[in-house]
Amino acid sequence: MAARSHSLFTPSSPPPKFGPRTGTLTIRRDGEEVLHKTETPALLTATSRGLVPHLSRDHVHRTRVIRHIQLPFESFIDRNPPVPTLVDGPHPLHTFLGYSFDSHILTMTLRDPSDGRKMPPNGNDFVAAHCTRGVRKVTTSSWNTFVEKCKPDIVVALSDTPFTLPPHSQKRLTKSIERSIAWITSLLKVPAAAHSDTAHRQSRHVFLHMAGGISPEARAEFAERLTDPVDHRDADALAPYNTLDDGISGYVFDLLPLRAALAVESRKPIDEGDLAGGLVRVSDRHRSSPDSSSRLAELLQCSLQVLPEEKLRVLNSPVSPHEVLRLVRNVGVDLLDSFWAQRAADMGIALDFRFPVPDDLESSHTACKPPRKRVNGKSNLGHNLFNSSYVHDHTRLASSFLDGLTADKSEVNGRPVCDCEACSPRAPSSRILHSAVDVHAWQDSSCPTSPNALQPPMTRSYVHHLLHTHEMSAHALLAMHNVTVFSAFLDGIRATIARGPEEFAREVGRFEEVYDEELVLWSEAEGMWLQVERARGKGRLAREKEKQVESTIGTAVDQ
Amino acid sequence: MRLAHGVTMLPTFMPVATQAAIKGLTPQQVEALGVNLILNNTYHLNLRPGIQVLKEAGGAHKFQGWNHNLLTDSGGFQLVSLSKFTKITEEGALFASPFDGKPTMLTPEESISIQHAIGADIVMQLDDVVSSLTVGPRVEEAMWRTIRWLDRCIEFHQKSGRDDVQNLFAIVQGGLDPELRDKCLDEMIARRDRVAGYAIGGLSGGEEKDIFWRVIKQCADKLPEDRPRYSMGIGFAEDLLVCVALGVDMADCVFPTRTARFGVALTPTGPLNLRLSKHAADMRPIEEGCPCPTCASGTARAILHHNATLETATAHAITQHNLVFQARIMGGARDAIINGTFPDYLKNFFANYFGDAGYPEWCVNALRSVGVDLLEGRSDVKVISGDGAKWEYSDAA
Repeated sequence: MAARSHSLFTPSSPPPKFGPRTGTLTIRRDGEEVLHKTETPALLTATSRGLVPHLSRDHVHRTRVIRHIQLPFESFIDRNPPVPTLVDGPHPLHTFLGYSFDSHILTMTLRDPSDGRKMPPNGNDFVAAHCTRGVRKVTTSSWNTFVEKCKPDIVVALSDTPFTLPPHSQKRLTKSIERSIAWITSLLKVPAAAHSDTAHRQSRHVFLHMAGGISPEARAEFAERLTDPVDHRDADALAPYNTLDDGISGYVFDLLPLRAALAVESRKPIDEGDLAGGLVRVSDRHRSSPDSSSRLAELLQCSLQVLPEEKLRVLNSPVSPHEVLRLVRNVGVDLLDSFWAQRAADMGIALDFRFPVPDDLESSHTACKPPRKRVNGKSNLGHNLFNSSYVHDHTRLASSFLDGLTADKSEVNGRPVCDCEACSPRAPSSRILHSAVDVHAWQDSSCPTSPNALQPPMTRSYVHHLLHTHEMSAHALLAMHNVTVFSAFLDGIRATIARGPEEFAREVGRFEEVYDEELVLWSEAEGMWLQVERARGKGRLAREKEKQVESTIGTAVDQ
Repeated sequence: MRLAHGVTMLPTFMPVATQAAIKGLTPQQVEALGVNLILNNTYHLNLRPGIQVLKEAGGAHKFQGWNHNLLTDSGGFQLVSLSKFTKITEEGALFASPFDGKPTMLTPEESISIQHAIGADIVMQLDDVVSSLTVGPRVEEAMWRTIRWLDRCIEFHQKSGRDDVQNLFAIVQGGLDPELRDKCLDEMIARRDRVAGYAIGGLSGGEEKDIFWRVIKQCADKLPEDRPRYSMGIGFAEDLLVCVALGVDMADCVFPTRTARFGVALTPTGPLNLRLSKHAADMRPIEEGCPCPTCASGTARAILHHNATLETATAHAITQHNLVFQARIMGGARDAIINGTFPDYLKNFFANYFGDAGYPEWCVNALRSVGVDLLEGRSDVKVISGDGAKWEYSDAA
């Protein structure tokens, strides 16, 4: 069937219904020979207002693990028409936001999957979305237009996920399913006039949120609706698709609303107390546990039971590597966002963990200390660099990785290298020359750097200093580092899956044994972060920040 | 100018890394912009991370990963500008420690000692700073004390044995009074064999621009030609170029990085406040043809507008641009001076930058004093009296 041929995903081997799986995600762009291949499970970089938080364009390009990028569009709906829709050319979003056609795959979605704030209810034909001017309604037809104009590589269809206060009634869930089905139908039909050629239609990759909330029946019902033959009234407009599922390339699971609803159900509502005027997000307080992971796995399985295995399974907003590992083990995940790792950079945390757990975790012969153990005997997943114990720690950020310069010098050492700009900085390949004589300065024998030469890593003491002096560079360094460590975590997952499901499950168990899942470190870092924010942002700046946070969910840290 | 960490071409603008970081950037990014001399603030680094940490790390260069030249101020200016309780005595500056409020003394010897630990390529003497708006005997007292403190700094610096790798600069004081400035210049020039360069201090404190340039000219005319001259706290494009024309080699200012965080980009036609809604759908870069990473990658004004003051990444983008803008102004001046076309360069700059708004009168006068007539053949141009900074357009914040 021609309509199925646009599959993005090729599993390495016939995948089990539920269980660890690897594969390749392939994107072929219209009229271009450019082919993008990514090994899965792969990382989906989170963005805020179109940008990877804290990273200038050169840093985004320098951070090679950033390949798949998730773009919540809602910040742009403060203007009508939204500015990205005014950009010309074959890749308007890439052009406007500074991503590379060659190396970045853009997934456009309306809402930010890590924004758990309460929202007004959606309507029969619109989703309530958030921008600096408040809540705006985005209708299905305007969403279709935005998508058509912006030409992302992958688009996430609108779906009706309630962000009103849980619990949600049976009636509400039924409505959610009806609307989500209607909206995906509308997107798949999209302007026949503009897309009369089937080639173009085939190039549009559509992801869909799996609706149904925390009701297993509702989730199963939604999935079945996708596989039903399409209504004969829609058949022409949807051709060549025989089912809605034919037009869908990937199934998206937003964990944030599920987790919030489960917490209410179990009468353990998540502490949404002091959010420090908006600096802290509800999602920052979410934690995972073996129990919550198995509940989530069940819900995901309810959706996937009747759906084909060879389509992408996308995970948004997991809150710990433990949770990721369990969902990979019990369900199978192909693409997942790194919001958790990136958010840690806002809070001053440098990630320092690996999967599978390195054998030499305990035995640290070098000065570079591993993360501390908690009273429960488990290791932190990183370092809270706000902590004053790092004042005199002049070593690289992560003990479980080497820095580029050390790795370059020493021949024996099994540890992988952290290739981020903090651990493996390189002198620039070129410097801008501002006058005809500048070249003499850079070529002079006394010039201490040569182009591309590896430099010593940034140290914990330096980042500690930057955090306490409220310098934005701290967050840029940590963001690059954390996303790189998180990507290495996925590398480890792929390599371990290749050794078989039993071996994978064994390593997951070992990881659970060794690393702390309660994220006590996160709570500590959050406290110290807010303390510095309050101390250094007093007066005008503090008021400005409050105003700013009220109006946006951006990631500005220090202006 | 050859220093321990390489050669820096003069005249140059020095970006300020107060806390050992150029706002939001990494040292590699700063180097890529074509910058190889930056400034750290002694006062701040002494508080955080503290000298002990810097010593452990092997100096400020290593601590912040900066491989090129570095200048530190003496900390005197911040003592006065940041602390209401600073009291100047002959011994040194007595101030309340920001940590515990205890009275703490910063002597000239201690300032140099701290700067030795930081390891900057250029260190500044401790000076007795008075606001440039101060009048009366306090100005003269501060001037003489600055000279006495210079002697103590020289003494300490030379005894320490660091004078072969770190260069001590004197700071010319004397307020806005030409006679005092002259006395100070004479005293300091008499010590020329024991100082590596001269800074012109006590300006950029809100004084009239017409007085500002005359003081700069007086100092630049008299200071020895074989010593670099550094004008402290100068950052507006027109100020930089006038100072260069009057004979200044180096200048520093937080202006280009600070204004960037508020969404203002500097261009050859004047500052651009990217927060104004007129940029919301403007797909042009800040400046066509600018080699900075922001413009070279085609960043539209529209996306900068969308995120200015909301995303740190946008502050970084504008900071990168603004530092390149400053560097280009000075690089252009170097080329023009070498090629003997500096007067034309100045005329071009002013025509582009102030053509619509009118030329500041003080700039016209200052440049006339060195034989450049900006108005030659430009009878159409308005001349604006007062400070005439192109300002109506900038810092909305």
